[in-house]
Amino acid sequence: MPINFYGYGPRLLEGALLTAELAVLSLILALALGLLAASAKLSRSGPLRVLATIYSTAIRGVPELVLMMLLFYGGQIGVNMLTDRINAWAGTDYFINLNPFAAGVITLGVIYGAYMCETFRGAFLAVDSGQIEAAKAYGMSEWLAFRRVRFPLMMRHALPGLNNNWMVLLKATALVSIIGLTDMVRIADQATKATHLPFLFLIPVGLGYLAITTVSEIGVAWLRRRYDTGFNTDGA
Amino acid sequence: MTESYTPLVVRDLHKSFNGNPVLEGLSLEAHVGDVITLIGSSGSGKSTFLRCMNLLEIPNEGDVIVHGEPVKFCVKRGERHPADWKQVERIRGKLSMVFQGFNLWAHMTLIGNVIEAPVHVLGLSKKEARERGMALLERVGLADRADYFPAQLSGGQAQRGAIARALAMEPEVMLFDEPTSALDPELVGDVLKVMRELADEGRTMVVVTHEMDFARDVSSQVIYLHKGQIAEAGKPGDILEKPGTPQLKQFLGPRF
Ligand SMILES: Nc1ncnc2c1ncn2[C@@H]1O[C@H](COP(=O)(O)OP(=O)(O)OP(=O)(O)O)[C@@H](O)[C@H]1O
Ligand SMILES: [Mg+2]
Repeated sequence: MPINFYGYGPRLLEGALLTAELAVLSLILALALGLLAASAKLSRSGPLRVLATIYSTAIRGVPELVLMMLLFYGGQIGVNMLTDRINAWAGTDYFINLNPFAAGVITLGVIYGAYMCETFRGAFLAVDSGQIEAAKAYGMSEWLAFRRVRFPLMMRHALPGLNNNWMVLLKATALVSIIGLTDMVRIADQATKATHLPFLFLIPVGLGYLAITTVSEIGVAWLRRRYDTGFNTDGA
Repeated sequence: MTESYTPLVVRDLHKSFNGNPVLEGLSLEAHVGDVITLIGSSGSGKSTFLRCMNLLEIPNEGDVIVHGEPVKFCVKRGERHPADWKQVERIRGKLSMVFQGFNLWAHMTLIGNVIEAPVHVLGLSKKEARERGMALLERVGLADRADYFPAQLSGGQAQRGAIARALAMEPEVMLFDEPTSALDPELVGDVLKVMRELADEGRTMVVVTHEMDFARDVSSQVIYLHKGQIAEAGKPGDILEKPGTPQLKQFLGPRF
């Protein structure tokens, strides 16, 4: 017997897809920013260290909701100021509307990049410095040593924290409804208000998040095995 | 051939950490086939001297000349840096180092460790590096451990594996920093045996060690460091049997 979703079924699925896309793209951005910021924090350059410290401290100290509104509305105002200038200078009449999806990805990516930064930083510091020294002693360049030695050894320490950040990020995607994105939470909210059947819509939403985390757990388990190679030695 | 070049020359090396002088004017010349042992009490600067040779520490003054090629330095904001990191990388590839704590890469198998730098630094094909690597593991008695991870090896095996990794670079000079100090006494012999064989086949080596028998039997030159200076240097028969300075007499123990 198919469940009657009062016509909200397809939209609920679309919302779920949007949630998944938003989460995955934000994750990629957050990982990239986190890795960059962690490297900056651990670098020899003073200005880079200061910049990265400001980033991770300021972002982690402000609620996600406030940052999201700030980045979205503030971002729009910034873009408007820029286009006004260009228009005044060139005599044109451009207007750029900030795409809420892109804004959502950027906001979540920037916010969770700050958390990823701390996770990566701790993990880099946990790597045995002798292993890095050996890489240098054998003529590896900074980049080669990073790619072949520092990064894989670091990932083993970072994975639990990264996974944790990812779970929090996934759930924070629900915040994007305030900037006008129709993720699955927003659809369920609309449907509940119209039909007064909260369980009918909210339980599938909960299951939707669980489905995403289940799939990601499989991926994380695979990564764990990969970066545990050589450490968990009972098996070999 | 460029046989005429001396593999390693160090001239008037100075190094200080945060203004505290640690090395004060050290020089050394390693000719082909030389085995130079560095001895001295803890904190005398042996490791720092060795680490300056492959630029893991940057000397504040002095020259490091590898196979006729002086390392180029520049001074930025009052601090001395290598002028060309590519050159440093190339030179490091000619001076394989064996560490006290082995420092095998934990996430790679033993053979993976041995072929890593030959493949990625020297540009050898995986196949060729593997063939050469297996032959080296055979030499150090670890052919059957090729696919083990470092954590699955005993200390002695790990250090012999680390020596195979060093040999795989076909280095001009091998640098050893107390290679047996982290080993259980019963495992020291295997590692020293491998090192004696290397010396016998004419490898150029600089060895920091507390193994006086090894220093006596194998070295062409013994250098005694005291407080960052070369207090005595010469043939092992002279230095170790007829120490001149009271410090070395004390260091060598009750016989003197
Ligand atoms: N990175 C560093 N920063 C500050 N001081 C250092 C550093 N490395 C070495 N030193 C100092 O330099 C001196 C020489 O140290 P080094 O490790 O070269 O001695 P060593 O002769 O190898 O001693 P050991 O036999 O204990 O290994 C010591 O006083 C040490 O504290
Ligand atoms: Mg030392």
